[in-house]
Amino acid sequence: MKSLIKWIKAQFVEAFKISDEVMRGKAVETIEHEVAELDNIFGILVLGAFIGIPSPPIHITMELLPLMDKEFDIMLDKVLTAHDPLGHLFSVLGID
Amino acid sequence: MNIDETKMKPQLLFFIGKGGVGKSTSSALTSVYLAAKPYKTLLVSMDPAHNQCDIFERDFSEKPKKVSETLMVKEVNSDFWIEKYLKDTTNQIKETYRYESAFNLQNYFNVLQFSPGLEEYALLLAFQDILQKYGDQDYIVFDMAPTALTLRFFSLPFITLIWLEELLTLRSQIYKKKEIISKIKIAGIEIEQDRVKAKLESLIGNYENLRQQFLSDTTRVNLVMNNDKLSFSEAFRIRQKLSDISIAIDRIVINKLARDENTAEIEKEFSKQKIGKLRLAPEGLTGYTMLKNYIEAHTEAFEER
Repeated sequence: MKSLIKWIKAQFVEAFKISDEVMRGKAVETIEHEVAELDNIFGILVLGAFIGIPSPPIHITMELLPLMDKEFDIMLDKVLTAHDPLGHLFSVLGID
Repeated sequence: MNIDETKMKPQLLFFIGKGGVGKSTSSALTSVYLAAKPYKTLLVSMDPAHNQCDIFERDFSEKPKKVSETLMVKEVNSDFWIEKYLKDTTNQIKETYRYESAFNLQNYFNVLQFSPGLEEYALLLAFQDILQKYGDQDYIVFDMAPTALTLRFFSLPFITLIWLEELLTLRSQIYKKKEIISKIKIAGIEIEQDRVKAKLESLIGNYENLRQQFLSDTTRVNLVMNNDKLSFSEAFRIRQKLSDISIAIDRIVINKLARDENTAEIEKEFSKQKIGKLRLAPEGLTGYTMLKNYIEAHTEAFEER
């Protein structure tokens, strides 16, 4: 009997943990997209030379390039999906 | 030498001006003069088309060579610096990037070495290296490239700082948002230190130092000119461009003067600067002995410094 109660309690805690995680995830979803967007802007500012946009003095690009693998990926990814900006916006706002 | 002087060393003397006015000769003469004082002097040729080798009639390289007991001469090889720099960056990329993106990057990267702006950056790298390695010298004399490259060299730290500060602002914003996300998502766990932000901060510190170096009392710019219209108007423009980035010209060197030539116009225009006059040497000035003889015959031209 005792073990059953323990088991039920554990289930409740587990359920709460998951829902907590989901809620937290939801709460930061939009801000996460915003950060990705800012990361992209930062990437373009520094690494624009790679996609044909005038860049800062080239030595700044060179200094930061080794540390910016994530931004580089994001930027190249955004270039590939650039033809569908509305679709991206809808997915951020959760419109189907 | 008194204590004040040791604290200030090394003194940096830049020789700038229009092509062909005699920057190399004036800087060589000044170096030989200072070395005879005797100050420990290093003469550095920053002009990609070196000609100190012709003036001293011997070969120089990246590694400074002794001309006399107190005088060393070095020629900056900007290709060497660009290559070294590219290699270092490539290695860093290979360390941090995933294999396939590093592989893709290589193609882009090969193009970068032809980017404009790397030449003056190479000079800046060489300049920093010199300050680090030869801080024990009393004087370091820089024979600069013609106007365009020199002005870009001087303004590089200033322009770079503007960019870096903008980038740091944006990066800090991003970092703050990431902090918020991690606080909500994985409560309590600190997010890892942003390496890009740290790098930006260290770069800003670095360029701030360089700017301070350019603006400090130990850096003195000598503007070389001839007594003719063309070099006069270029000198005028150089002064304007340098004052835009708050670098003042310390001294004007009027080179290739004939006997009793009238330089009143220059002296009036550059009344705030010290003026040095170098008499034309009709037989040309090549070889260490000839430079020494010239200095002995015209000591008054070098006295004031």
